[in-house]
Amino acid sequence: MNSTPAPISESASPSLHAARLRSLQSLGIFCGFAAGAWLGGAEAPIKLVNPDISPITISLIMVCGVFLARWSVPAFIRGTSHVGADLRQAPHLVLWAVLAGCMWAVANTLTIYAIRNVGLSIAFPLWNTNSLLGIFWGVVLFKELQFAGWKKWLGVLGGAVCMFAGATLLAVASSHQAAPGKAALGIAAALGAGILWGTMYIPYRKAYLTGMNPLSFITFFTVGELVTMISLAVSYRGISPLLHEVVNARAVLFWLMLGGFVWVLGDLFQQYATKYVGISRGIPLSNTNQLWGLLWGILVFHELQGGTRTVYSQVISGSLLMAAGAVAIALSSATEREHSSWRSAADREGQRYGIEDEYVRAGMEGRAFGGPQRSRTALDWFLIIGTTGLFGLLASAARLPHMDITLSWAAALSAAMLALLVAGGLALWRTTRFR
Amino acid sequence: MPSDRFRTMFRAIATDIHFWIPFSVLIGGLFLLDKLR
Repeated sequence: MNSTPAPISESASPSLHAARLRSLQSLGIFCGFAAGAWLGGAEAPIKLVNPDISPITISLIMVCGVFLARWSVPAFIRGTSHVGADLRQAPHLVLWAVLAGCMWAVANTLTIYAIRNVGLSIAFPLWNTNSLLGIFWGVVLFKELQFAGWKKWLGVLGGAVCMFAGATLLAVASSHQAAPGKAALGIAAALGAGILWGTMYIPYRKAYLTGMNPLSFITFFTVGELVTMISLAVSYRGISPLLHEVVNARAVLFWLMLGGFVWVLGDLFQQYATKYVGISRGIPLSNTNQLWGLLWGILVFHELQGGTRTVYSQVISGSLLMAAGAVAIALSSATEREHSSWRSAADREGQRYGIEDEYVRAGMEGRAFGGPQRSRTALDWFLIIGTTGLFGLLASAARLPHMDITLSWAAALSAAMLALLVAGGLALWRTTRFR
Repeated sequence: MPSDRFRTMFRAIATDIHFWIPFSVLIGGLFLLDKLR
């Protein structure tokens, strides 16, 4: 990928320099692929958990891990004082971030009902429509793909449809569902989750067009996520049964919270992808997480073992379709003309909410804004050390269940994910200093 | 005046279709979740 360091301190230019635009587009596309790997890898620790625990409790414990990660990772990368600086510039985005977090929690809970009622093979393709809805909102509300030309349109839309078809085949192949009951409710739940996730990208795009840093956005996003998830868990389970279940699950708390932590790293890449290539490209690319989930399932957990020839042909065709779709989207990056229409959408945001023009432009171009770099505070160290300590404590109480796992494949996939993390982190640092 | 700034901000949010679309979808999702319980 092209991660040529750009002149970070350059002042705002009326038109984004072509080389800088290419650099940011490549960065966004790379982040989309890295997001797929980490979001898919987040499923692995959860597979180690006893299925007797209720799905709502599993979701809640994961979200606790997510909450810790969403505060400690920004504290580690840039320090939370940057969050305050962003908040002062664009306070209205706090509301959008919390709203998006609430949407995520409701969508995630709906998927539990969808899987329970209609099985993964029907539910997954339905909620995977989120990327098509994301493209729709990107085009209608944020002028994405405007002046893109028919080839780019074909690349993005055709790629997303290809990925949708591939995802459907993979879901059918990997499902082990029983006869579905309450089908209508299950389908409604899956479609509802897809609509919620697809619409959740409106706040994402809004924040990044306005110039907010993804590391700031996620800290407010997670407040909505945690509050909604606690409310849902308490109202569904009751406080006492919920606490009892969490205490009984102490041996697997580490795996669930680790799943949440890994998921956050994937989501962070997804946020940067959304920022630099928009929702119409970033979201379908990060939906390659299904391929990574499948790799973990087949290679590490021996899923699909003894499957029929039909199942294996579905897996191969589905994977090829998804990969082809992702490549088509990756090759359809925004032109300078399309980017100029993004800028006009950004100007609309700036004018509407009275945001400083230079802040909006600097955010879009991944440049510095304002005074000198702020150093880490005591709060940052507290978050970093506290989260590390808590994870260490939970790890000491964790037990690896007796499962047939191929550790060599687990190590190989983890190494591939770490390589993507390091490469993505370096590219983000060199190109934008994590802006 | 900070209060003026917040009043302007909330007015801008209240008249922004970008807010009402996700908000309506969220309410719809909560309604659906209630039906599924």
